[in-house]
Amino acid sequence: MHMDLPRSARNSALQQNMQRRPTLSFSPLSLCYGIFGVLLVTYIGLIAVVMSYAALTVEFSQSVKNDEAAVATLEGQYLAGVAQVTGTNFVAEGYAKPTATVFVRAESATALR
Amino acid sequence: MRAQFRSRIRLVLAFVILVALMIIVRLYFIQIIHGDEYAQKADKQFASGGGGLFDRGAIYFTRKDETLISAATLSTGFLVAINPQTLGNPENAYAAITNVAPDAISRDAFLTAAAKKNQVYIEVAHHLSEEAGQSLSDKNITGVQVLRERWRQYPGRTLAAQSIGIVSYGLGDTLAGQTGLEATYDETLLRSGDSLYRNFFAELFSNVGNMLVAAKDAREGDIVTTIEPEVQTHLEDDLAKVSQKYASKESGGIIMDPRTGAILAIASNPSYDANVLQNVDPAILGNPFVEHVHEFGSIMKPLTMTSGLDAGVITPQTTYKDTGCITVNTATICNWDLKPRGVIPMKQIIVQSLNIGAAWVATQLGQDNFRAYFTKLFGQKTGIDLPNESGALLSNLTKPQQVGYDTAAYGQGIAVTPLQMIRALGAIANGGVMVEPHLASAVRLNSGIERAIDWGQTTPVFSATAARETTEMMTAVVDEKLQNGKAMIPTMSVAAKTGTAQLTNGQGGYYTDRYFHSFVGFFPSYNPRFIILLYTNDPQHVTYASDTLSSSFLDLVHFLIDYYAVPPDRGFTTSTSTASQATTP
Repeated sequence: MHMDLPRSARNSALQQNMQRRPTLSFSPLSLCYGIFGVLLVTYIGLIAVVMSYAALTVEFSQSVKNDEAAVATLEGQYLAGVAQVTGTNFVAEGYAKPTATVFVRAESATALR
Repeated sequence: MRAQFRSRIRLVLAFVILVALMIIVRLYFIQIIHGDEYAQKADKQFASGGGGLFDRGAIYFTRKDETLISAATLSTGFLVAINPQTLGNPENAYAAITNVAPDAISRDAFLTAAAKKNQVYIEVAHHLSEEAGQSLSDKNITGVQVLRERWRQYPGRTLAAQSIGIVSYGLGDTLAGQTGLEATYDETLLRSGDSLYRNFFAELFSNVGNMLVAAKDAREGDIVTTIEPEVQTHLEDDLAKVSQKYASKESGGIIMDPRTGAILAIASNPSYDANVLQNVDPAILGNPFVEHVHEFGSIMKPLTMTSGLDAGVITPQTTYKDTGCITVNTATICNWDLKPRGVIPMKQIIVQSLNIGAAWVATQLGQDNFRAYFTKLFGQKTGIDLPNESGALLSNLTKPQQVGYDTAAYGQGIAVTPLQMIRALGAIANGGVMVEPHLASAVRLNSGIERAIDWGQTTPVFSATAARETTEMMTAVVDEKLQNGKAMIPTMSVAAKTGTAQLTNGQGGYYTDRYFHSFVGFFPSYNPRFIILLYTNDPQHVTYASDTLSSSFLDLVHFLIDYYAVPPDRGFTTSTSTASQATTP
């Protein structure tokens, strides 16, 4: 059965349908702005973190290298000390060569070892 | 309206993708296709190099207690550069610089640099200490820049300098290892991470592997050597005394563990301070242990003897008639004292160092056998981790004349490197097996992992029996002959052999009054921990190696016994607990 509704009635039904559809409480544009803002802050934050990390890495790396250089200086002194002891002419220093050498069993570690 | 909204979104998306694609294509062309050009262009905008601070891995000595001591490391400090265009008063600037670093630069050189007004950056002083650099920086002199600098430092100065090597500018514009371990392990020691320009885009595509596995950390590291700094110092000291006493052209020595090939000390005289290379003769920058070949003389006899014993053509009880001199292929070969010994056993060939006896053993071996043994001993490079290793000169062993084999039997007519020599003689000490001599034992990777280097390849040459029989003969050299028997250590068996070779005159003959002295020994004889090779080239006013090198060898033996607390291997009975067992005057 087909019934022709008057125009005013049709408009009224359409308006009712439209009112029943869900609507957003904010505009998509505002959402995009929000997301953009969050991403921008995150991006700037990440840059800050990365820059700080890089600066700290360089600083720590330099600190380690400085410490290594200081250790190298001490090692140089140690090696120079070894060379000096090795090169010492003990006879010239007043020590006499032993008249005899006695070989003994190394039973225990002595202070000299 | 929805359809309209969707189509707009798609339009924006397409635009974003298009822009992204354009950026990617542009980045591809800038960073990958033209990356190097732009980097060079950027470099040219700087007055000084943009390579950043120099960085490089360390090389370590290993003490007997496994403590690592730097052989090569980095030092940090400052360099001073001037900008002649803005430098106000050069005299004042020079005074300020020399006030904190008196030896930094001469006045004339500084003023010459300051006068170059067309330049904006000239480095005038290097290697300033932290204090000096800070002090100069605090003065804020216009036109004077104080910049941080890092450089290669060798704390041991001359210690094992030729084997540790040097770093310098080669053909390119980057510092790289040129000699020694610095060159051999350049890839491991090189640091690539501190470049001024980071090409993120290129790395994203070209170094995907690096993102998944830290390839750099698995490649870059420090080198741990087997060199013991105190043993090295002792060896260098002994060699310096020999060179000084006899005015030798060159002296050298190697101390090696014959069981593993680990080199504990390797020294040559003259040497150089690797920190100060300005006035160093380039001829001594190379490594004589792998680059120079010598005719070693009679220390070759133990190898001839072991070859004969191993081949079964002689036994220790075999005798021969020593006539003092023989003629082979029109050439006359004689004992060192020209005297005949009559009928004598094999042991006397080693103990009395008889050329006629060595030649007799070579004849018994036959040319093919002799060539086979000596090719196995010296035919290949040792494979040591040092660059530019030379091969032995063995051409006499390819000719049919017997005289070439007879002379080779006592170490003349064939020339080998010191490392080939100690490797071959190490076979006698190591039960007939040759090992791979080496200087680096491990790589300490940046990842923290220490990766041991495999040097386990061995080459059997002689039977253990033949090696032991020759060892007995060499032990008799020390116990009976060396310093007329006074060198004998009652509590320690030591095997040794001296060698005196005539030097070639460059015209196919030999000098009659110029010699190459060598000395080899290992101990304890039957379970050796150390093998020592010493040599001195062209010592003055002395003929025999027993005169030049015996005392150095014995000094090293006593030092090593004491330093490593090597337990006695003879002279004590296990049941006794009395301390004093043997006395020698």
